[in-house]
Amino acid sequence: MKKKDILSSLFWLATGFGVCYGGYDLELGTLRDPGSGFMFFWVGVIMTGLSLAVLVKAIRMKPDQKGVGLLRGEVRWAKILSVLAALVLYAYVFTYLGFILSTVLLLLFLFKAVEPQKWSWAVMGAVISTLTAYGVFQLWLGSQLPRGFLG
Amino acid sequence: MDLLNYLGIGFSVALQPVNLFYCFVGVFIGTLIGVLPGIGPVGAMSLLLPTTFKSTPEAAIIMLAGIYYGAMYGGSTTSILVNIPGEAASVVTCLDGYQMARQGRAGPALGIAAFGSFIAGTLSILGLMLLAPPLSRIAIQFGPPEYFTLMVLGLTILIYLAHGSMPKALIMAALGIVLGLIGLDSINARPRFTFERLELIDGVGLVPIVMGLFGISEVLVNLEQVIRRDIFETKIKGLLPSVKDWRESLGAMTRGSLLGFFLGILPGGGAVISSFISYAIEKRVSKHPEKFGKGAIEGVAGPEAANNAATGGAFIPLLTLGIPPNVVMAMLLGAFMIHGVQPGPLMMKQNPGIFWGVIASMYIGNIMLLVLNLPLIGMWVQVLKVPYKILFPLILLFCLIGVYSVSNAVFDIYIMILFGIVGYLMKKFDYEGAPLVLAFVLGPLMENNLRKSLIMSQGDFSIFFTRPLAAASLIIALFLLVSPIIPYLRKKREEIPKEEVT
Repeated sequence: MKKKDILSSLFWLATGFGVCYGGYDLELGTLRDPGSGFMFFWVGVIMTGLSLAVLVKAIRMKPDQKGVGLLRGEVRWAKILSVLAALVLYAYVFTYLGFILSTVLLLLFLFKAVEPQKWSWAVMGAVISTLTAYGVFQLWLGSQLPRGFLG
Repeated sequence: MDLLNYLGIGFSVALQPVNLFYCFVGVFIGTLIGVLPGIGPVGAMSLLLPTTFKSTPEAAIIMLAGIYYGAMYGGSTTSILVNIPGEAASVVTCLDGYQMARQGRAGPALGIAAFGSFIAGTLSILGLMLLAPPLSRIAIQFGPPEYFTLMVLGLTILIYLAHGSMPKALIMAALGIVLGLIGLDSINARPRFTFERLELIDGVGLVPIVMGLFGISEVLVNLEQVIRRDIFETKIKGLLPSVKDWRESLGAMTRGSLLGFFLGILPGGGAVISSFISYAIEKRVSKHPEKFGKGAIEGVAGPEAANNAATGGAFIPLLTLGIPPNVVMAMLLGAFMIHGVQPGPLMMKQNPGIFWGVIASMYIGNIMLLVLNLPLIGMWVQVLKVPYKILFPLILLFCLIGVYSVSNAVFDIYIMILFGIVGYLMKKFDYEGAPLVLAFVLGPLMENNLRKSLIMSQGDFSIFFTRPLAAASLIIALFLLVSPIIPYLRKKREEIPKEEVT
């Protein structure tokens, strides 16, 4: 808890400073006519003050027990990172490959690589889910899903 | 008489086939996500928001509202059968509901939960119908200082009721306000915090943020561990409660309904708090409190009535003031705005069809839920058995299409992934998402009203203290903010059951 709070409060402290600076840069205006940066600046000030409060409280805390930490324990990091990487890659190729192809590939990866299942089920699940989603969103609701290089 | 006329307008809107269809879809999906742990009403509403773009505003709101109160119904099913609350508001139902199921009384437990929810839901709609018009008339006289301070108060109550540290919840609210203000300045059209990205000129969308914080991050958290759900295998028979069950539950239902409705009006976690308080009251007034925790039917009927009545109460500040009291209502406000409708005191006059249509649809939705919940319980139990490894790719797929359909922009998918990571880290570092989302929605409104108030008063802050309502709101907010410093009040705050929004 102590380490977590110190780390997070330092992050918010930096963010708070950034917001204050951004607000100041946008012009504060006057009290009679507040400018574009007025609210940003004061919210940034509040954020900075609160981060300091969390930081001071964390510094005063007893040290964390051994084995307690963010990156320890039985967290399946590989799975989380692979899902995130797959989502970013999906967004990257989405318009180029088109909705159907990119979605089938993504679902295949999620069904097969992240939580392994039989190939037959993974392929069937990926294709049926994609086509159902296409039917509902593109054909029924009229969304403009990208067709990609094949379209 | 006017009320009956308006209700007539409402039913003529709600009974249109297309609106009936949307109402059905809403309550059905609401029950489904209430049953499924891991995705809550906020996530589901943001997922389905894009599907309403082609519909009329009334159909959209009818469906989204249906998801909200449907989820409250569905949440009780898992509490009773699996001892896992589908929603935070159904946590207390586990205590006696699951015990009843273990004693072979799953049927009456599910039955009384459904009837209790129905009766409370209907009573709260009656309350909403009676209270909303006079409140709207009063709210017309509010000016920017009242609106600004009421929003400050709403946000403060939500923060006060947040899990854990208040400074952390306040930081989240501050972040939400900053994110909400990104884009063009509404007064002088100057771009703010857009980092010269064209996509940010209109601001960051509510949907990518909510889907990231509540959809993607939830999947990531669930992927961390292997989820195992043990379903209590029991034959469910005799859903209709006996005369004795009814006799024991009626008082609990009535008390729960009243409590839930009035607590629901207040910002924060009305549904959760009212269900806990209702349980405590029932235990206290009961002639045999020793039965509580061992399968007392009042322990199911009271809290279930309370959490459903709270959903009706929560509509009051949104529909009459335009101020959402919780994250679910913030989502609804977002939906109203996307459809070009501004909730608030003038809504009843300007859009009577939507206002009364939504209210009337809730009567119909409650009947649909009763019909849905009783015979379909077997199906919901089957749904519970769907393994997470099949569920999570589908949730991700829905998030991706949903977020893309809103704006046809891949940029929004990146924003959603970013907030998925932010939401995941927030959970790891013990920060809560609810204050962020509510502040995100309220941020622009707060800024606007603050600037208008200062222009009105020529820079004099006393405008917030000389007007009675504004002053009262600020004093209460200030009291809540400083209360954790006083040890006695801090202890009281820690005793309050907290809302968990997913």
